[in-house]
Amino acid sequence: MRRWLVLLLLPVAYGQSIGTPASVARGDKLFAQGCSVGYCHGAGGSAARSQRLRGRTFEREYLIKVIRNGIPATAMPAWGDRLTDADINDLTDYIQSLATAPINVAGGPSTEAPVSLPAEKSVDTPEEHRRGRELFFDLTRESRCSVCHRLNGNGTAVGPDITKVAAIKEADGPQVLRYGRPRTVRTFVLKDGERFAGVPAERTASKTRVFDLSATPPSLRSLVNTDVQSIQRQANWRHGNVVRGYSLEDMQTIWNYVRFVAAKK
Amino acid sequence: MPRFVALFAAATALFAQDGATRENWPHYGGQTSAWRYSALDQVNASNVSRLTAVWTFQTGDNEGGLQATPIVVDGVMYVSTSHNRVFAIDAATGRELWSYYFQLPKGFTIFYGPWNRGVAVADGRVFLGTLDNHVVALDAKNGRELWKVNVEDANQCGCNITAAPLVVKGKVIVGVTGGDSAHRGYVNAFDAKTGRQLWRFWTIPGPGEKGHETWTGDSWKSGGGATWMTGSYDAELNLTYWSVGNPAADFWGGNRKGDNLYTDSVVALDLDTGKLKWHYQQVPHDVWDWDTAYENVLLDLPVNGRPRKLLLNVNKGGYTFVVDRTNGEFVAAWPLVNNLNWITGVGPKGELLGRNEPVVGKSKIICPSIGGGRSWNQGAWSPKAGMFFTTGIEWCEDVVAVPETPKEGQVYFGGTFKLTHKPLKGEAGGHLGAYDPVTGKRAWLYEYKYPLLASVLATAGDVVFTGDAEGFFFALDATTGKKLWSYQTGSGNRGSAVTYSVNGRQYIATPSGWGSALAGLLPQIWPETERLRSGSAVFVFALPENGK
Repeated sequence: MRRWLVLLLLPVAYGQSIGTPASVARGDKLFAQGCSVGYCHGAGGSAARSQRLRGRTFEREYLIKVIRNGIPATAMPAWGDRLTDADINDLTDYIQSLATAPINVAGGPSTEAPVSLPAEKSVDTPEEHRRGRELFFDLTRESRCSVCHRLNGNGTAVGPDITKVAAIKEADGPQVLRYGRPRTVRTFVLKDGERFAGVPAERTASKTRVFDLSATPPSLRSLVNTDVQSIQRQANWRHGNVVRGYSLEDMQTIWNYVRFVAAKK
Repeated sequence: MPRFVALFAAATALFAQDGATRENWPHYGGQTSAWRYSALDQVNASNVSRLTAVWTFQTGDNEGGLQATPIVVDGVMYVSTSHNRVFAIDAATGRELWSYYFQLPKGFTIFYGPWNRGVAVADGRVFLGTLDNHVVALDAKNGRELWKVNVEDANQCGCNITAAPLVVKGKVIVGVTGGDSAHRGYVNAFDAKTGRQLWRFWTIPGPGEKGHETWTGDSWKSGGGATWMTGSYDAELNLTYWSVGNPAADFWGGNRKGDNLYTDSVVALDLDTGKLKWHYQQVPHDVWDWDTAYENVLLDLPVNGRPRKLLLNVNKGGYTFVVDRTNGEFVAAWPLVNNLNWITGVGPKGELLGRNEPVVGKSKIICPSIGGGRSWNQGAWSPKAGMFFTTGIEWCEDVVAVPETPKEGQVYFGGTFKLTHKPLKGEAGGHLGAYDPVTGKRAWLYEYKYPLLASVLATAGDVVFTGDAEGFFFALDATTGKKLWSYQTGSGNRGSAVTYSVNGRQYIATPSGWGSALAGLLPQIWPETERLRSGSAVFVFALPENGK
């Protein structure tokens, strides 16, 4: 009898033990700004692309972990670098408060402005290098640095680790960018007569993977070795041809930014 | 009278292109004209009730369901699943020939969802777009990777590729998602042999380009314009037609004053150069998320006695637009759904009348809902029936516009929404109708309690196939809409059925597997739909071999 009573009271007690009205209210607001947006969790966690959160019970530790780290290989992002511990705590309070909520949300959609996220996740860029960063990753240019260089976890690593290059070169940056002839570029000659400049990525007994530099972005081709006539050390490829969209001033700005990142490493 | 009919038929045949499929289902939309119509008639209205399951292929990846269109070439079926897996299957027996699993970077966050809507196959190669924004070419014989290109860093752009590529004349043409992120869309063409990019068409003109003046400030950099469904191609005109999605932010346009070209437009591009030949904008300055995203059906029909080369496109807002595909001239527009209040109508020149826009900070009922008067699941054009068969959805939403600052690659919605339980007219639900493609005059309507989210297949056997949320794949009589046959596939249908033949036997194949962003929204109106089970399998049917 006593055990039965405890069991009966448990959901109520559980519901009451979660958060304070203030933290739940703050979590509600954060949820509206970051979690119910777009096709994500829906108004009040009512279900959308991702599962319904209303009327469900989650362990606190699990919620904190998922909010902070996300769920890899799904659409749930990691919020750990965008929200404070207090934010995550309040958000967790709010989601747990939904355990006893009816599945249907009362009222209209939220009028909260979406949460303000920091523009950059991995490295803080000081004001004087923001422009360089923008130019490096500028998606409005088809021929941008990040098409061939990976920096701070973004971009494609076709070319070498650029921070190493930038760190050792004391030379005039734009000069290097315009006239440099990277040693990693080769000329590939195929048996069908095709010829192109490429950066070898992988070579096994049977196949060769190579970044074809004929167009932007480079295509990573997998060639069967028997189709390859020769791979020549000389290449008629110039870095200057792919950075033509940047002005000399742009190049200097980019160079300064890359050197800044290199120094930070 | 019969002579007149014969003459008319001959005249029609003279200018009509043949967009019907036969043994193969070579392209996403059947042929590049996107009819989703097959000339095969072994299975027809008189015998479809005897269809029997011949094989089932389980892909093993249920997340997000199965949204693909199988491609069938010379007895081999190519299917892509969630997480960029590709299977080559013997189309007569269901035996797996090879599989390919694309490796996503470790810890990668998937935007939008894990699904993929199909591959393209040509010249012994299979082409796939990926969740981290690569285009990949495989050897059709063994699934070996031939090349891959990273179009943009997905982490940065907040975009990826879920649509099937279009391959014609050695060119792989691929769109991109990202219309609800701060991103600038495009269409790219790659060389099928090498993967080299041949051209790019930006869906939002840059500084100095015509149309750039339809954006204010820097809004063009984050204005959306995704090309998230597969385009069409007219060989005679050498034009490829792509639909450009909504401008971002979706519900708020305060910082992008102007028409916002070429969002919500059909663009006709020269296949060889990617240069814009013409555009037709359906919704200038969209603030409802009314993508022009869906299939471009290329059909030849007389309009007012004059043969016309037409392009039909269903807009997400529930209106169907018909234009002249040689020059983009407006021909007609007709509504697909009853619940439609964002405009009062479309004028004689295609102009939108009585715009009813979301308001900042105040809720408003808008119909259809953000899910659309129809989803991306394609309709079918049967030249034999003279009908365009398409699904439609009756539903509304409560929406609030919210000013927002764009952040590159991040969700950029400009508002929030909630589906409403009762639409303005009748009950919320879905339907499949038969329409005159130019006038929109409806011959019949098949109604269903939930949205119908699978594509439609039409055949010369006077049968129309589609599937529902509860897992029934079914056949309707093309002339009456009467249900002739159905089969329970065990999971809701969200993909696109196809038909093909091997050694003279006609097969009907359908993906089964419930999922997608839209399927996830359904419980806001129908709570019980969250219990609809996911799945991922291809079911294949044929008439019994002994002819009984």
